[in-house]
Amino acid sequence: MPADSRRINGPEKSISPYAFSKPCKDIKITEPSLQRKDGRNPDNIRPIFLKTGLITQAQGSAYIEQDGTKVICSVYGPRAVIRKEEFSMQGQLTCDFKFTTFSCHNRRQYQQDAEEKDFSVQLLEALEPAVLLHKFPKAQVNIMVTVLQNDGSVLAASVTCASVALADAGIEMYDLVIGSSARISGATILMDPCATEEYSDKDSAHVNNGSVTVGLMPSLNQISAVTSKGELEFEHLNKAMKHCVSMCVDLYPVCQQALAVAMETRINADPKT
Amino acid sequence: MAEIHLSDAEKTFIIHGVQDNLREDGRGCEDYRHLEIETGLVSNTSGSAKIRLANTEILVGVKAELGEPYPEKPDKGRLEFFVDCSANATPEFEGRGGEELATELSSMLARAYQCPSCLDLRKLSVVEGKQCWIIYVDVLVLEYGGNLFDAASIAVKAALFNTSIPTLTVSHDEGHVEIDLSDDPYDVQRIEVTAAPCIVTLSKLGHSHVVDASSKEEACCLARLMLGVTEKGTVTAMKKEGSGSLDTSSVEDMLQTGRRVGQALNKSLMEVLMSDDKVGKKQHLTGFLR
Amino acid sequence: MADDSRLARPLEYYRKFIQNDVRPDERSLEEFRPTVLNIGCIGTAEGSALVKLGTTSVICGVKAEIAAPKTESPKKGYIVPNVELGPMCCSTFRPGPPGDQAQYLSVFTNQVIQHSKCLDLEELCILPGKYVWTLYCDMVCLNYDGNVGDACVLALLTALQNTYLPTVTWNEDSECLETSDSTKIRLNVHSQPVSSTFSIFDNHILLVDPTKEEEDLSTGQLTVVTADEAICLVKKPGGSPLNDRQLAECINRAFSRSKEVVRLIHETLNSVER
Repeated sequence: MPADSRRINGPEKSISPYAFSKPCKDIKITEPSLQRKDGRNPDNIRPIFLKTGLITQAQGSAYIEQDGTKVICSVYGPRAVIRKEEFSMQGQLTCDFKFTTFSCHNRRQYQQDAEEKDFSVQLLEALEPAVLLHKFPKAQVNIMVTVLQNDGSVLAASVTCASVALADAGIEMYDLVIGSSARISGATILMDPCATEEYSDKDSAHVNNGSVTVGLMPSLNQISAVTSKGELEFEHLNKAMKHCVSMCVDLYPVCQQALAVAMETRINADPKT
Repeated sequence: MAEIHLSDAEKTFIIHGVQDNLREDGRGCEDYRHLEIETGLVSNTSGSAKIRLANTEILVGVKAELGEPYPEKPDKGRLEFFVDCSANATPEFEGRGGEELATELSSMLARAYQCPSCLDLRKLSVVEGKQCWIIYVDVLVLEYGGNLFDAASIAVKAALFNTSIPTLTVSHDEGHVEIDLSDDPYDVQRIEVTAAPCIVTLSKLGHSHVVDASSKEEACCLARLMLGVTEKGTVTAMKKEGSGSLDTSSVEDMLQTGRRVGQALNKSLMEVLMSDDKVGKKQHLTGFLR
Repeated sequence: MADDSRLARPLEYYRKFIQNDVRPDERSLEEFRPTVLNIGCIGTAEGSALVKLGTTSVICGVKAEIAAPKTESPKKGYIVPNVELGPMCCSTFRPGPPGDQAQYLSVFTNQVIQHSKCLDLEELCILPGKYVWTLYCDMVCLNYDGNVGDACVLALLTALQNTYLPTVTWNEDSECLETSDSTKIRLNVHSQPVSSTFSIFDNHILLVDPTKEEEDLSTGQLTVVTADEAICLVKKPGGSPLNDRQLAECINRAFSRSKEVVRLIHETLNSVER
């Protein structure tokens, strides 16, 4: 890689120390009755911590923590579009998704890589259906998502986090978008997988090994995003999606409560408004 | 997606037609447009295919090169997709206009081919941890007439089917590894693509959905579901695209249609490719000028 | 209304407060904002710390990797600090490569590390001439509300004190490295650099720990970095001139701040270990 004159540069090549550690045994997650490494049942999700308004510089912001997965999101706008030729009567929504360099097991690069670009697009497509774009013509709303720590189900957490941040920013929406993900391994469906449980293409070539992520607008019962990876049979895919949808519905009150709490504190702090 | 400006009345006409299973060009909801495939068109590639789906025209060139495998996958070769939306295809692609669509298409193709079961990457390994075949798949969009993703995936599958990689013999000699290329130009390996997926895009129009949307239909459609479907009917990748959302029950319907259509598509594609292959070099190539 | 005059005529608004030796956020002129430390918050990094200086927040993650040393210094490891001021932390930053300010801060933190000698780079050696540690210290600003420099230095120092490296040994028989995750070694931090920033208001009034608003209104800035009992770095990038009495005042304040911060880090580290 060419040296970046805008940053402090380290050595040209470096490798993770964990490349030399003895390979640990693959975790078997196929048996349905088996408890997961962190003691959860297949259907259990990790405890969620959700808080809004942490980034005071932004119009709206949210922070979500699902055990080891930590995502922070800020929303700026509606503000003027920088390039004039992008004029449109519909408001624009942009998404910028970034892993911090230290957020994953292996160090990430500063520039957005293909995966981050892909996530940016998926996030945008998950949120666009929920936002009333015609309410801010000629302007744009920018959503910045930063993953502080990645322990699986990042896209799902980002979707939830970003939609709560949009709501916190006072952007008009039809509904919140709640994200959820599942790992499919044979007949087992593991909800809210952590990093070691997530699907990777290194896994065995058997059919029905993959993952699904769903973004749902619960009160409209509309799916705004759905992606899958890995070769899956139709029945398993459908079942996993149903599980995801019901998980989204379960998470809905959590997000509503976080927003209600934020609103209460805002009213108490400034009784005039 | 390339833009076409339609009036509201035109959109209503198309959507109402689809509800009665009658589309603007006379097709049913699950019918593809006329499809032409030619393989082996570009002589300086390892494999190539040109596809024409009504007005959508795509050329795919495959190049096999030797390279180092990734350290985390020492026993596997790899596929790399590169998509170029040329400005010839539609004026919207001028400048950097097609870039976003191009990355989207290449990431969808990469995701659909990511499963170990659809293409055995282990066969592309030459010397474990040292050398492997890297298959560069270059997709060139020549003309845009709707349903780019399906057309591109069909062309990729055809081009991979057409690809021949020179046979290499590896000999170990006192710790040294020697790689020999066979002198016979016909001594080649083929890539097994029977299990490879084709992308089926289902566009939601009104309350129903259609496959292989034309660019006019795409202009009326807010939400699409893209599925990578294999011959067995399994789904290797799924993605919702577009600014709209889908009802939970309609996703299930669309999945079902996608599987049915995808299986049929894969089957007829393989039949055509096989019969073409039997004719071999004798077949008459039409090429680009017709 | 108070809010309107703050937006329309911020300078006059501030002057009214400063005449009475107080700032709009109820701080006195030489008071820092409440400082909060959260240590070890990122599990995927070898060391990490989150610093909140009032509402300004910076998170620092240290990621350790193995690299070949430079030929002229076969035993020295690398330390690579970088500050990210992404589009997330403030409306004025755009996505893309780091801007002027981020570059300035990266260089600044790098100078602090080098001049304070807080790390002995030779302790980062695994096998002389072959393998050394590289510590990538990335400071990501989450919320930009002034004085990010101080927050970055504090986050960096705290993260380094919380950095645990896995043991990597050279196996002579198999001629390769072996990593053991079970035993981890804590990084030795030899000195404790603390940065204190002063903003110059109306050419002569000094404000400690400026907010973003105060930074925008200031006519100059001064940063003093102390390492334990000594001054390690003084930066005054232009702006209004200061006399020697004012400079001495700043340095004194910087030393007392240094003591506060070192105590805070100590307390936080202890509470985590317990």
